[in-house]
Amino acid sequence: MHWQRAGFSNVGFSKIRLSKTGSSGLWPWLCAACVALSLLMLVSLLTLLAIRGLGHFWPASLEEVTLNSGDIVIGQPVRETALPNGAGTERLYFTGNQEVTGNNWQWIAIDEISQQSEPADLIRVARTPWGDFIGRLVAVESGELRLTQHAAWAFIHEALTLPVSQRPPGILLLATADGRTLRQPLASVTHFQSPNAMSWGQKTIAWGQRIWQFLSEGPRAANTGGGVWPAIFGTVLMVILMSVIVTPFGVLAAIYLNEIAHQNRLTRLVRISVRNLAGVPSIVYGVFGLGVFVYGIGGSIDSWFFSDKLPSPTFGTGGLLWASLTLALLTLPVVIVATEEGLARIPDAQREGAVALGATRLEMLTRVVLPMATPAMLTGVILAVARAAGEVAPLMLVGVAKLAPQMPVDGEFPYLHLERKFMHLGYHLFDTAFHGEDVQAAIPLVFATALLLVLIVLLLNLTAIFLRHYLRRQRGNEC
Amino acid sequence: MTPPRLPFSRQPLRHVQDRLATGLITAGGIGVLLAILAISVFLIWETLPLLAIGDTFSLAKLSPLAWGTLKAALAAMLFATPIALGAAMYSALFMSARLRSRLKPTLELMEAVPGVVIGFIAGLLLAPWVERHLASTLMMIIWLPLSAALAGYLWYRTAASVRQRLPLSWAGLWFVPWLAGMAVLAMWLAPIIEQHWLGGDLRRLLDQRYGLDYATRNALIVGIAMGFAVIPSIYSLAEDALADVPPTLMEGAQALGASRWQALWKVALPTAGPGVFSAVMIGAGRAVGETMIVLMASGNTALFSASPFEGLRSLSASIAIELPEASPGGMTYHLLILAALALFIFTFMVNTLAEIVRQHLRRRYQRLGSTL
Amino acid sequence: MLASLSSENVAPAPVMRFSAEQCCLSIAQFYLAYAGKTALHDLTLDLPRHHVTAFIGPSGCGKSTLLRAINRLHDLNESVTHSGHIQLEGQDIHAPDMNVTELRRRVGMVFQTPNPFPMSIYENVAFGLRLQQRLPKRKRDDIIEWALTSAALWDEVKDQLHRSAWQLSGGQQQRLVIARTLAIKPDVLLLDEPASALDPISTLKIEELIRNLKSQLTLVLVTHNMQQAARVSDYTAFLQQGELVEYGPTDQVFTNPRLQRTENYITGRIT
Repeated sequence: MHWQRAGFSNVGFSKIRLSKTGSSGLWPWLCAACVALSLLMLVSLLTLLAIRGLGHFWPASLEEVTLNSGDIVIGQPVRETALPNGAGTERLYFTGNQEVTGNNWQWIAIDEISQQSEPADLIRVARTPWGDFIGRLVAVESGELRLTQHAAWAFIHEALTLPVSQRPPGILLLATADGRTLRQPLASVTHFQSPNAMSWGQKTIAWGQRIWQFLSEGPRAANTGGGVWPAIFGTVLMVILMSVIVTPFGVLAAIYLNEIAHQNRLTRLVRISVRNLAGVPSIVYGVFGLGVFVYGIGGSIDSWFFSDKLPSPTFGTGGLLWASLTLALLTLPVVIVATEEGLARIPDAQREGAVALGATRLEMLTRVVLPMATPAMLTGVILAVARAAGEVAPLMLVGVAKLAPQMPVDGEFPYLHLERKFMHLGYHLFDTAFHGEDVQAAIPLVFATALLLVLIVLLLNLTAIFLRHYLRRQRGNEC
Repeated sequence: MTPPRLPFSRQPLRHVQDRLATGLITAGGIGVLLAILAISVFLIWETLPLLAIGDTFSLAKLSPLAWGTLKAALAAMLFATPIALGAAMYSALFMSARLRSRLKPTLELMEAVPGVVIGFIAGLLLAPWVERHLASTLMMIIWLPLSAALAGYLWYRTAASVRQRLPLSWAGLWFVPWLAGMAVLAMWLAPIIEQHWLGGDLRRLLDQRYGLDYATRNALIVGIAMGFAVIPSIYSLAEDALADVPPTLMEGAQALGASRWQALWKVALPTAGPGVFSAVMIGAGRAVGETMIVLMASGNTALFSASPFEGLRSLSASIAIELPEASPGGMTYHLLILAALALFIFTFMVNTLAEIVRQHLRRRYQRLGSTL
Repeated sequence: MLASLSSENVAPAPVMRFSAEQCCLSIAQFYLAYAGKTALHDLTLDLPRHHVTAFIGPSGCGKSTLLRAINRLHDLNESVTHSGHIQLEGQDIHAPDMNVTELRRRVGMVFQTPNPFPMSIYENVAFGLRLQQRLPKRKRDDIIEWALTSAALWDEVKDQLHRSAWQLSGGQQQRLVIARTLAIKPDVLLLDEPASALDPISTLKIEELIRNLKSQLTLVLVTHNMQQAARVSDYTAFLQQGELVEYGPTDQVFTNPRLQRTENYITGRIT
């Protein structure tokens, strides 16, 4: 009867086209192409992120271009596009000098270029208010001193190794492509490079330094420069807080469901619901967090303890605590399901063995069952962390900030400020890419941020996979 | 040998501890379950004021959003379902075991790529690219499956030595360069075809002849991007269902002379059907609720349009954009919570259905395993 | 089949009694049901101290259920109900003032498949001890050595006490489990088909161990292997469908059973 149900009766002998080779036709090849296509998409995505994310930090050569009209443009070539109707191609240059030209970019048709070169004296300067400068160094003035050529370069390189407060006073005299000069105070310079004059080794070192700066510094110049350190810090802090909340509750709930609750219809129902909550959209959790945590609980806390500051809210607005709580709720099913699977996998013989030796339930749990379920719990928590690290939608409702003025941890009592807004890698990515002032200039950094985020999440997932693998192997030994 | 003496002491404390711990775990467990229940209670409670107002006009504001949500999900499912199910069938039944043990976790890793990253790539890179190369994109959608079939045809024609070097069981891997090459070929050919047969510009043709507007960020882009995000969840669950079909069933069919593909089509698929169905349901649930990808790749224009080249705005994206600005207690606030409730109920029901079907299937396999 | 069984019950089996000094476990009118389905029906029997008593019978006859009832392992399952009495040294094990963990300390149990904990050999044996109280390390080491020696395992593992218990062979694991139980000095040791998962040589070792242990404690052995019951036990109880059919000295039950049903089972005419 089951055979019929399984559709076995459909395989009437006559219906089968007997083939000597046992070949299956072309369909399996189409299916194989599906696997290959998915793989291709994944690989291209990761390669794209890696190349564009890491490539940005490589000191790119600068070109000096003379146009047919006699104008001179200095910049970094970015990409070329075909002009409509077969009118040749044009090339996009990053020219910097936003305060002078009002624009960081310039499109130049290839046909218009009369001369093109890469002089070694072109420099690129990263500065705090205006983004990058591209041009030439004329001289450095420091007090009475006026340095040019090599002396100037040596002076700048030495000064830049010092923190801003200890730098000697100085002003850089810079010349743009069209001959205008700028006076740039040394204190506002973060980076000074002459990429055309650098060797491969120097470029590699500079590359490493830029990556380090990206990881360790705050954003500059409307997210077009600098790094993502506050966002990394905010993400990590939020995720740590979240795991501190979700781990004990998730494990407690799993132990209750698997070891203490009577196994009946109700438990089964609860189990299915918990499993399904993992499929509920994250934005719904965000709505719950906003309505209950922020407006409900946060609002009440404000009216009881911070009424002097009202109407400006303290806890009654998005913040670190509410974000962590919301994500804890969001990842609770992940932890519960993983822990329960681990608990269910432990043979009853182990529990009976402990009980038969006179152990109470608590002793059985803490000494035999929980140690055996630890890898499963860890897997669950890591998966939860991976999910939380990549989740953005609920955070938009409960406490993430474009640019947090204060870090959530500082030297001021009580050191950890749960009510403050914080920066998050994923949201930083979204905000820079879609709401930035100069998206073109910010995109390389967005790629780097995306790469960082993907690496973190993939690394966490890989850890979970290896843990699970280890768990299965351990179980194999037991049999 | 005399046993060493053991002075056993009674320890009432142990039992007190045990009781306390049991109580604590019970309280914690029930508390967690109540917190989960609180989500639905909150959502329903906050939409009640809408009933009191009974304002159908405001409700009508949600309908283009609901349409947008469905359109986005449909586009994603159209892209993802064939690929995911094809991949599942191949990896469960044709792939070599060694490759499968490596490839399956890799494909499942796709699920971990954060939505915000996929959305960013789709919205800022893919969308402008497709706008400039619409003909190439459409051509690739047609040409890639054909090229796979072509590869299969060529394979049957080649010498046995080549066939042994490139077996079907490893095709999932060695097809990758083939497909990449074919994609490049399509990109090279498309402008030529566009020039000769489509009057030089496909977009203008679409606009003039069919009146189709083209928005940079549109349903096509959302479909591809969100499809990418749901492929792994459908693939993983469907593959599990297919791989768990008792091998004796397949062998039985093959012993009767069926090819492996026939055995898959006539035996494995009907048996694992419910599991495959629940995989698709779970994928649909994910597609309906996904926020960041739609937000970044759709253009967020609330339109009633069935065109794949026009933008859309989904419920989830609207919540993410508008709720932080809506004043609590206001009309918009309650409407958006109604939207969240709709998402919640839909995904919860879809998932419950899928879960019930899966449990049913598991029992069926246990029976099959015991009878065979 | 039920009818034929009850028709033979015209002459009820005489209850074998032991005096209070000889009797270790006394079971009286004991009933037990799983979710309303009767598993044990009106059992009455006394088990003598420092002897080995074997429970035999076809699978599902309730012999393992009875063994688990003596350890109150059924407490873990809510659907089990029971009535009647089981007395350990004159004390009702279901009495409200009975401490379950203390009962289980006094009544050790060894299961069909070896279930050592995923810890070292040393920690496995120390597990029960640590539950009871803190002991100085010297004393604990002494007890562990004694328990492993009693379980005939010491010579094989004395140099590798800190290896994982899961790396031992099946027979060694089962002896480790016995040692683990012996370490907390139980009065009774319940063995639920302890050798069914083992090879013949390991089985012989376990059987020899059982014979040696009866000078220290009372043993109850459930087995489906008739030869094993005959080799090891002093008394044998034959159970069928939750009822006690025949109970007496092993020699008598095997060579000269009083009832036809017992003989049929022993000679293999029904299983």
